[in-house]
Amino acid sequence: MPTGFGWTFKTQYQKSQWEDMEYRGREYGLLIYEKLEPHIVRITFNRPERRNALNDQLYNEFLAALHQANDDPQARVLIVRGSGPCFGSGHDLSSPPGEESPPIHPSLNPTLVDYYGIERRRCGKQEDILHYPKAIIAQVHGYCIGASEMIASMCDVIIATEEATFGVKGFSRMTLGVTNWPCFWPAESNKFWGGQLSSVIGGKQAVEAGFITKVVKAEELEAEALKWARAMAQLPAEVIAMYKEWLHGMMDIVGLGAAHRSHYADHLSLQYVRFRPDEVNLYKEKKDSGLKGFLKKREGSASTATKAKS
Amino acid sequence: MADYRNIIYEIKDNIGWVTLNRPEKLNAINDDMLFELDNMFELAEQDLDVKVLVIKGAGKAFSVGQDLSGAGTDEILPPSPRRKLPSKTSLEAARRRNRRWEYIFNLCKPTIAQVHGHCLGAGLYLALACDLTIASDDAVFGDPSLRMGILPEFPLLAWLVGVKRTSAMLLCGKQFTAREAEESGMINMAVPKGKLQAEVTNMAKGISLLHSDALAVAKDSINAAMEARGVGPAWQFTNDVSLLMQQRTRRPGEFNFENARDKLGLNAAIEARDKPFPELD
Repeated sequence: MPTGFGWTFKTQYQKSQWEDMEYRGREYGLLIYEKLEPHIVRITFNRPERRNALNDQLYNEFLAALHQANDDPQARVLIVRGSGPCFGSGHDLSSPPGEESPPIHPSLNPTLVDYYGIERRRCGKQEDILHYPKAIIAQVHGYCIGASEMIASMCDVIIATEEATFGVKGFSRMTLGVTNWPCFWPAESNKFWGGQLSSVIGGKQAVEAGFITKVVKAEELEAEALKWARAMAQLPAEVIAMYKEWLHGMMDIVGLGAAHRSHYADHLSLQYVRFRPDEVNLYKEKKDSGLKGFLKKREGSASTATKAKS
Repeated sequence: MADYRNIIYEIKDNIGWVTLNRPEKLNAINDDMLFELDNMFELAEQDLDVKVLVIKGAGKAFSVGQDLSGAGTDEILPPSPRRKLPSKTSLEAARRRNRRWEYIFNLCKPTIAQVHGHCLGAGLYLALACDLTIASDDAVFGDPSLRMGILPEFPLLAWLVGVKRTSAMLLCGKQFTAREAEESGMINMAVPKGKLQAEVTNMAKGISLLHSDALAVAKDSINAAMEARGVGPAWQFTNDVSLLMQQRTRRPGEFNFENARDKLGLNAAIEARDKPFPELD
């Protein structure tokens, strides 16, 4: 925002990845950017035929949209949602090897330090959403899985339908429990849910556990998200930004920063898993029987044995 | 026993009963009430006859929070931006405010908040700083501080209910019903209004039968676990952010509670403050 001293002051004290993603002159192809009201911006993941799976293009457009909304002096609250059947199905596992969105392809064989840098950048994108200076609401319906769930969990408010499904499917046993991320949860619930690694949970369970803010009927979702956006939009932008700094600063005291780092390292260590012959390996299965073959095989594996109990 | 005007303090069967007693103001906490509470807690902590304290409100509500009238509220409210105080002075004031809640939280005797009706702002802080919070089903919990540009100076809430519910209350302005507060872990129990007094009395009696040393040690170990999870540093961090929030320059057109109060009167200013916000359930 302009300071009156002839230089531009970013509300972030450190540069975020969305600041590097240019929005000027960009035409969004996989998302829709709308200004609903002077203080409210809505971003819609618009890749319904792929259940809004995140490939590099969609993720980069999302970061550019965050950048655009940040630079809009009127915008105070963002609503993020998905078009079509769901909020999002996570990383696009069909992405080509060079892309950052899915797990690093083994054929790239980077050094350990390079690997760590890649993971840090990948996960840092999500962390930067948490530290975004304006309020964000995730408006969730249908599946909200893996990286899509990660995006939702970084938002200040999550309004979801009863049918919404949160969780991490992972690939084979390589699951990282984002829903089980204890720092975001009150103490009594992370013990319970943390014990259910790799499960998926429904909207009602998620709200009971304090993982999301509110659950509503499908037909009420849009109006409810807008109502919550309007409530926050009444506050001055600076008050929202400082409140978020305060809350997330306290989460850092609890150890959120360390949890993020551990998350990078966990991603990294999972790259080195040696699969037993009976285990489902994303890249081997993709090579042998294609992505659909992998998904079919994974469906019967241990990691997805628990179904949503909505 | 000290002569209090804003609270009633009685000791019966090893239970200290504290009643916030400004019913005509819905027990809004002003400096006088705050200093009387300070004095009472200090006496109660040293009093061997008191094994447990119960805090409740007279009249329609537990407490609607800080007295926003601006008269006799220099201690309970952050200093008015009009006063243009040195940062050090404002920081000291923020420290004193927070240390008060921290002191109550760590008092060496168990405390029970008996909540009915509105429990907002500093009233909420007081109720949640107690070890146990029991509410009747008509209780309402909330904190509209951000609407006046004041940081909600009570970090403990995030530890009790998690970040999503904390933001729902503080950032979005949602008020929690007693049932929601119970389900989220903010309070221990929501009971029918007619049973509140009996329920709290029963609980206090049970505690009063235990040895006071055992109570002090047990409470200390529970709070040590909270301390290990970072609650202590969070109070201090809150002071700093609170100070920053006070030093912020208001933007043109922004709602200014003090100006509205001077122009319209207290009740109309509160109405003007809350009117633009949709009610969230």
